[in-house]
Amino acid sequence: MAQVPPLPLGPAGVPGAIPDQLSVETTVQQERDLVQPGVKADEFGGAPELGFWRLAVIRFLHHRVASGALIILAIIVLSAIVFPIITGDLYRVQDYRHPFKPPFQSLQHLFGTDDLGRDELARLLRGARVSIMVGVLAVVGYLLIGGTLGALAGFYGGWLDNALMRFTDIIISAPFLLVVIAVTAATGGVRLSTVIIVIAATGWYEIGRLMRAQFLVLREQEFVQAARALGASNARIIVRHILPNALAPIIVSATLGVSGIILLEAALGFLGYSIPPPEPSWGNMLQQFEQYLLDDKAYLVVFPATALVVTALCINLIGDGIRDALDPRQR
Amino acid sequence: MTFYLIRRVAIGILLLFLMSAMFFTLTRVTPGRPITVGENPKIHQSVINLRLHRLGLTDEQGNSYPIPQQYVLYMGALLHGDLGDSYINNEKVTTLLLQRLPNSILLLGVALLVALAVGIPLGIFAATRQYSKLDITTSLVSYIGVSIPSFVLGIYLLLIFGVILKQSPLHWGFPLFGMHTGGVDDPIDLLYHMVLPVTSLAILQIAIFSRFMRASMLEVLHQDYIRTARAKGLSIEKVNYKHALRNAILPIITLVAIAIPQIVNGAIITEGIFSWPGTGQLAFQAVVDRDYPVILGVVMLVAAGTVLFNLIADVTYAVADPRIRY
Repeated sequence: MAQVPPLPLGPAGVPGAIPDQLSVETTVQQERDLVQPGVKADEFGGAPELGFWRLAVIRFLHHRVASGALIILAIIVLSAIVFPIITGDLYRVQDYRHPFKPPFQSLQHLFGTDDLGRDELARLLRGARVSIMVGVLAVVGYLLIGGTLGALAGFYGGWLDNALMRFTDIIISAPFLLVVIAVTAATGGVRLSTVIIVIAATGWYEIGRLMRAQFLVLREQEFVQAARALGASNARIIVRHILPNALAPIIVSATLGVSGIILLEAALGFLGYSIPPPEPSWGNMLQQFEQYLLDDKAYLVVFPATALVVTALCINLIGDGIRDALDPRQR
Repeated sequence: MTFYLIRRVAIGILLLFLMSAMFFTLTRVTPGRPITVGENPKIHQSVINLRLHRLGLTDEQGNSYPIPQQYVLYMGALLHGDLGDSYINNEKVTTLLLQRLPNSILLLGVALLVALAVGIPLGIFAATRQYSKLDITTSLVSYIGVSIPSFVLGIYLLLIFGVILKQSPLHWGFPLFGMHTGGVDDPIDLLYHMVLPVTSLAILQIAIFSRFMRASMLEVLHQDYIRTARAKGLSIEKVNYKHALRNAILPIITLVAIAIPQIVNGAIITEGIFSWPGTGQLAFQAVVDRDYPVILGVVMLVAAGTVLFNLIADVTYAVADPRIRY
């Protein structure tokens, strides 16, 4: 007859009792370790005092796809900043003896050369600068115009609100690309600054509407009433009380806006309405080399197209990561 | 309902007027006169004046009208079905638009139908099998679909199906360029030529429709009446496809109306890349040539179409969903 091994005794001396390890303190300690290794949770097991934004950053970094996309985007952005500084004029140095050098053949021209013997990699990264600059600056424009008008329209309502909604209706019903082209042409020419201003001036309505919706909801909340009862001015209520609470969806929309603008700028470049040719941009590279699609020189088209898609995809993934991080309920 | 309809139509017309004023001003303040484009430099001044006068820009002596007056003239002509003359083609803009419009409607209509026929079932299946492999794959594909603009997708498709596959030993692929001489008379050939442009236009909409359909379906599936239907013993299929689907599919009506300007946007470049002889290609060429009356004509046409479709969508929605009262 086999001897049954005695059941392990718990701290209370009751056989089989679960060791007192999974209490609240342990989970708090685990969460602490996640954030600040080595810092002990306090005696009473209070929740770690982390702000909303720090928690969001932590949640974002735990989102594997989004942080992967962030790393790839960081590599693209960094090389777009650093590479042109190191190589200087390489993107426009022509070498008539070696046009159409195929890619991955030599280290000197890793991505090959174009029709004038210019280094494709240098041109790609120079183009990345254009794309990223337009994307970021135009989004800043979106935030300034759309954020301000949306906040005022949502807070005060009235004619401004009506004007905002009608403007959106107009922009939404027209083909956006033609709108931007018409405005670019009307403002006299295809300088990069014009392109940025035109995109910002025509595309801000989405953030404007979002901001308006946020303000419409938030202005009715009790904390706003409380602030008003305490004597806060409208300006103070808008900037200090409502704005911080309205920010989360705006950040997501702005991130996704960057990729939309980059694609729009490329489409404009493809049509010849962005930065003109001696200066490379992904859009005008596509336009210039579309004719080589049928030859074995298709790499000249594939590189800018792929750069465009990878960048846009990364930004979209990051945007979604931020959405999940800022609003964990929505998953 | 009647009052609502009248109000909506009035707002729509007002919108069109506002938009036309905006774009008219934009295209008229653009530097450069139409007569300077592609004209014989030795041409006599009186001929130039005559032509500018015919374009509705100046009086007989060659003095330009102020922009508001030009706008009134333009709108007056528009109400008589005249959108002015192209700077490049020596043709009426209306003639050009009417020539191209059927081809565009064909291409865009097929793209929209394909997008609906693929996107909606995908969304439904993804929602009813949440977190399954199909669901994850659908999300992934729709992700990539949203990040690739249709013109880049068009270039990739051209490269893969038009070049690489044709040069491979298979000798198989799709034609590179749009409609052939047969046109509508040769449906098989037409379909064959439509595969690539339709794909490049439809992918984005498939992505949008499937995402939206999934979200809408999930929202409905979590409602109480669905649980009630399950609790009284109805089969999953019956609940999903009869009770849930009917409510989940309603918002798609609005989405289709929103999709139309987006597809037109994509079509401007896609038709250009695939040489599809539609209004998009017309706009593409007009943009390259800076032929502003044609650009203005296309913008007005698309805007009118969008306003009309938004109206139809809202009315359909009101008819389809009796809960909505105006």
